[in-house]
Amino acid sequence: MMRRFKGLGVSPGFAAGRAILLRSRAERLQFHLPERDIEAEVDRLTRARERVRAQLRDIKARIERTAGADRAYLFDAQLLMLDDPLLVSRALTFIREDHLNADWALQRAGDELAAVFDGAEDPYLRERKGDMFDVVGRLRGSLRARGPGADSLPTSDPGPYVLIADDLPPSIAAQVDWTRVLGFATDTGSWTYHTAILARSLGVPAVAGLEEASSRIAPGMMVVVDGDAGEIVADPLPELLSRMPRRRPLAIGQGAADDRAPVTRDGRRIRLEANLELLVEMPAVRAQGAEGIGLYRTEYLRGAGPLAAVSESQQFEVYRTLLEQMAPAPVTIRTFDIDEEQAGCWGPPGRLGLHALRLSLSRRDLFVRQLRALVRAARHGSLRIMFPFVSGVQEVREARQILQEVIEEIRAAGGAIPSIPVGVMVEVPSAVLTADLLAREVDFFSIGTNDLIQYCLAVDRTNARLAEFYEPLDPAILRAIRLVARAGRRQRVPVSLCGEMASNPILLPLLIGIGITEFSMAPGSLAQARRIIRAVRYDELRQIAAGAMHGMPARQTERRLTEYIRARASADHAAADERHDA
Amino acid sequence: MVTRTVVVANPLGMHARAAARFVDAACRFTSQIRVGRDPRVMDGKSVLGLLLLAAARGTALTISAEGADEAEAVDVLCRLVEQGFGEP
Repeated sequence: MMRRFKGLGVSPGFAAGRAILLRSRAERLQFHLPERDIEAEVDRLTRARERVRAQLRDIKARIERTAGADRAYLFDAQLLMLDDPLLVSRALTFIREDHLNADWALQRAGDELAAVFDGAEDPYLRERKGDMFDVVGRLRGSLRARGPGADSLPTSDPGPYVLIADDLPPSIAAQVDWTRVLGFATDTGSWTYHTAILARSLGVPAVAGLEEASSRIAPGMMVVVDGDAGEIVADPLPELLSRMPRRRPLAIGQGAADDRAPVTRDGRRIRLEANLELLVEMPAVRAQGAEGIGLYRTEYLRGAGPLAAVSESQQFEVYRTLLEQMAPAPVTIRTFDIDEEQAGCWGPPGRLGLHALRLSLSRRDLFVRQLRALVRAARHGSLRIMFPFVSGVQEVREARQILQEVIEEIRAAGGAIPSIPVGVMVEVPSAVLTADLLAREVDFFSIGTNDLIQYCLAVDRTNARLAEFYEPLDPAILRAIRLVARAGRRQRVPVSLCGEMASNPILLPLLIGIGITEFSMAPGSLAQARRIIRAVRYDELRQIAAGAMHGMPARQTERRLTEYIRARASADHAAADERHDA
Repeated sequence: MVTRTVVVANPLGMHARAAARFVDAACRFTSQIRVGRDPRVMDGKSVLGLLLLAAARGTALTISAEGADEAEAVDVLCRLVEQGFGEP
């Protein structure tokens, strides 16, 4: 039956095709497998299970060493769940019989079990449901961990298809092969600025803010995306399809992998590092040629429990592993960026509450525990410590003082500690305005554009109705970034940028034009960034950036950048063809 | 097929560690093992299935086995439950 969903047209045009689904904040991908891929998918899940088994055995052994055998028994139950006929075996049946992809099959097996657990109404069982989901999460993480994109997005589906997502952050968008995407639609609208800019530059029709389309449309369903009217139609009548114009999308920043250094055509060397949330992403980071970890978010250590429950030795193990695996490349570890609720305290949630460094300063026990783990791990690689959500000089001094005390204490106990560079996230407007003062207190800056945009422009980025006001091309944002870049340059403090803007193929060149030379982004975005950097010229981008900072309307800046990058990319292709001919 | 009913003896009931021990023991037999708590019957080699029985102390469980080593399996598994899964 034909169904219409109304949303916001963010990229014009008309497209129709079979749907593939990307769900649960882009972590759940659902599609039907062609017959010939079924055994390969079974094999993929079986191998993921073996990787998870190895992970769980490692964790169990570590916990036995640090906390005693008694605490490790839960992992026995989890290890048994891996071989449980109700979980992975059931998922394998779904792959074979219903042709679901592995991620979907696992999700369905997990959901079935969850429904039974929920029916039991026993508080102890509810916790075991958490254990089960933890195993499912690990399996899904392992399915995705091998090579970003390649694994999580269908490679064998001949396509082209219509991509239906609940959310499409730039880090995931960068992994999509856009030459096979006819159009896309998302439930959220809050991503508009980033992914819509991308969609418009690629010429892919897109509709946002559909609220619940991704849960109402089944993979494989025929879907029409009407970017002009701002709606999508599932199961359209044949008349509608026959009226559809034909089009082919263009690709920007795509092509063969290029492992040459990221240098612009006029010789400006750009440094590319990776953002990391989970250790399982490490192989992807190295495969993508990151020059370091620019941002490791320690709050992901807590999993589902409160941070107060994460011990110093647990943290130490993770930090040490990270540093050893990346050595000699630097690893920037950011201290906890969470609010009181997430910390397991009783305070109210929210970023404008007692949050991030402010929380760390008021909960010294948690902060000192984290710093001790970091300082002890420092000798295992090249550690840089970063404080999040800094609003001014005083907080940095206080935090550094505590760090110094921790260092002295460990040194007094006989530990050898290398020097550890200390930096801050610049993401609060007050930090931007005092960047010159902050630069005297720290060894490096990292600009966090996600928060910077929302606090500079006073827009709650989770509120879809404000999506159009969240504008990274606003001159205020570009000037704020320039201010920080200049303050850093004057005091010889390196400035990196680690927000989602860096992952966007249109915004990245603009940031280079503003004067940023170091970026940290999701591993899946690195290959695209490298290709783009190698295609552009700094002197030309500086001109465009100057215009944008002097009040060029955002959409005009966007068009100018799109045209520039297209021209550069096609010049590149022409040059490659010439070489080929010769 | 051999079937016997036992009562869960340990204070915590069939919790995660107990269920893990039960599955470990059950997997040593080739027989198919079933564990029932009226009205549900679960695979005795599935830790998730056993957890879902939500068998607290005092719950009656029906253990059955079918296969070459069915008698020994029921013996061993019933003893494990009666002795509180080897917990103090």
